[in-house]
Amino acid sequence: MQLRAGSPPTGHRWRLRYRRRRKGEGRPSPNFRGNAALPKILLVGNPNVGKSALFNRLTGAYAAVSNYPGTTVAIDEGRCKLNGREFAVIDSPGMYSLLPITEEERVAKRLLLEERPALVLHVVDAKNLERMLPLTLQLIEADLPVMLILNMMDEAEKIGIKINREELETVLGIPVIPVVATAGSGFEELMARINEYAGRQQDSSGL
Amino acid sequence: MLAGNRIRVAYDPSIESAICDITALLKGGYAISPRSVALLLLQGDPDIRRLVQAGEGERFSQINTIVERTARRHAHPLSYVIRMALQQKASDITASVVTVAPPQKPRFAERLSRAMINPWTGFPLLILIVYLVLYQFVGVIGAGKLVDLIEGTLFGEHINPFFTDLVTKHIPYQSIRDLFVGEFGLLTLGITYAVAIVLPIVGTFFLAFSVIEDSGYLPRLSLLVDGLFKKIGLTGRAVIPLVLGLGCDTMATMVTRTQETRRERVIATLLLALAIPCAGQLGVILAVLSGHPAALTVWLIVLVFSFVLVGFLASRILPGEKPSFYMELPPLRWPKISNILTKTYTRIVWYLKEVLPIFLAVSLIAWALDLTGVMDAILDGLRPVVGWIGLPDDTARVFLFGFFRRDYGAAGLYDMQNALTGVQLAVAAVTLTLFVPCIAQFMMMVKERGIRTALAIFAFIVVYAFTIGFLLNKILTGIGVSL
Repeated sequence: MQLRAGSPPTGHRWRLRYRRRRKGEGRPSPNFRGNAALPKILLVGNPNVGKSALFNRLTGAYAAVSNYPGTTVAIDEGRCKLNGREFAVIDSPGMYSLLPITEEERVAKRLLLEERPALVLHVVDAKNLERMLPLTLQLIEADLPVMLILNMMDEAEKIGIKINREELETVLGIPVIPVVATAGSGFEELMARINEYAGRQQDSSGL
Repeated sequence: MLAGNRIRVAYDPSIESAICDITALLKGGYAISPRSVALLLLQGDPDIRRLVQAGEGERFSQINTIVERTARRHAHPLSYVIRMALQQKASDITASVVTVAPPQKPRFAERLSRAMINPWTGFPLLILIVYLVLYQFVGVIGAGKLVDLIEGTLFGEHINPFFTDLVTKHIPYQSIRDLFVGEFGLLTLGITYAVAIVLPIVGTFFLAFSVIEDSGYLPRLSLLVDGLFKKIGLTGRAVIPLVLGLGCDTMATMVTRTQETRRERVIATLLLALAIPCAGQLGVILAVLSGHPAALTVWLIVLVFSFVLVGFLASRILPGEKPSFYMELPPLRWPKISNILTKTYTRIVWYLKEVLPIFLAVSLIAWALDLTGVMDAILDGLRPVVGWIGLPDDTARVFLFGFFRRDYGAAGLYDMQNALTGVQLAVAAVTLTLFVPCIAQFMMMVKERGIRTALAIFAFIVVYAFTIGFLLNKILTGIGVSL
């Protein structure tokens, strides 16, 4: 409460009121028990950047995909197998930053805080890199095992946008992978990098 | 190559020193780095505050002091200062790795996109799309041709007679025969309504909706109507649940979660329950009223009037902040056939799972009520109510069923359209559309909004629907028109 001076005035009050309401209502929390033992890959990113399309490609499951921001209102979970290693893949509702405004964004942040993912894939729209990088920076800041997925590369190229991927990897210090989720291009590399990354994660956690 | 030197954003010195002080006090284990925890604390994030308060005990008040002290040093909220620093860094990085070719002259997609948002061209386009999609595709093709084919020919001439013969031959008891093929029979009422009348309509709607959704039209529609929606306490964001409500209000009520404030969610839920007919209802009503264009016009005017009036009043009465709206515009795209088919398919499966059991249950209950004579008692009780709004006794049944499913009630109206005058059809269609959401939608309202809000909306709608029906009947018969 004393904090109010230092936080956005309207948003803060709203969040407090909202949380109180939620408690009584109790929307069932997602049940991940079935895949509890598997390392988790969490998909995060702004609304409408293709998280669900990527999710469908990775898992072969079906999450509703549309050309409208904010379609994923619940959490979808599926599995994917890479080189014999199985992962639980979790699709999250869109989020703009680690400081959420809507309930949907809170769901995504809670996943980040509570699920201890083995890998976070930050999916961005390659056409709007500038607007989406702040979340990447926050995820890096949080020491999360994050990879940056530049989605919709085809559309970016069509309007004349070129991204120097190697330079971006060097600046950020994390893997950067260009893909087209709807067409499936770039997925071979994505799978290889996930495998490599997850392998190293396991080695380092064993130390 | 990987995770070599991860980038580190440097903030304002006072914030950096606060981060340093806070991280020194953090002893608990967190899923994210201490630096990140400190930054979220500085920005007043309620979730992280709760976690830290639980994890750090007494040190939490020391942390609070640091946060307050730092906040006082800045003219803007810290969340703003931190966001600006992040955005600045993001812009610097982008400038160093992204090159943009000089813009070409606007392509067709770009010009079409602008025309959709500009009010002068956007509203005519909207009317054209509504006419083509709702009236022509869902109304004429779905509710007209497809229903004629499936209900009239397939069920009416082949399936139902075949099973009626079969049941009559093998089951000697009339009441048991009625359970399957009677007036309220599981096959002749339940399955026929669900599969032969409602499914073709809802299916065509979902197909059309998937195409529109994939094309990227909806975000543009959101921008177009944002100004109008703000007057009724909503924003352009409400377009998706409201348009989806024209398919299935139950599904749409679930999607109101995407609204930013509780106030918007309540208003959207109320308007869905009151003034947005679902595809089943819409299709049947379009089919019933298509022979009476004047009645159709009256129905449309009353619905639009109710939508605006109730939204406007709700936005005055309900407390809460005025919503803000920002939406990014995805490009217009050619919809992908495979995506459209999958999406239509998953929605239809969802719908059938939702609808078929209820239709069968309603048939069963209706059969039992009819057999025991309770049905007649309830209908006797309802008759004065429908009589009050100028409708013949038989429509009592339509309203009774309309409570179980909106589309079920409307389908009942379809069956008796020839017995009613134009004025009666208009009054019945208006009252039935406004009237109570179906049981499934009501359950979803309870789940999403809580029992108190759901009951309040329910009570308001019953009173409002019959009052409007009563007034409409008085006005139309008063001025002596025959529609």
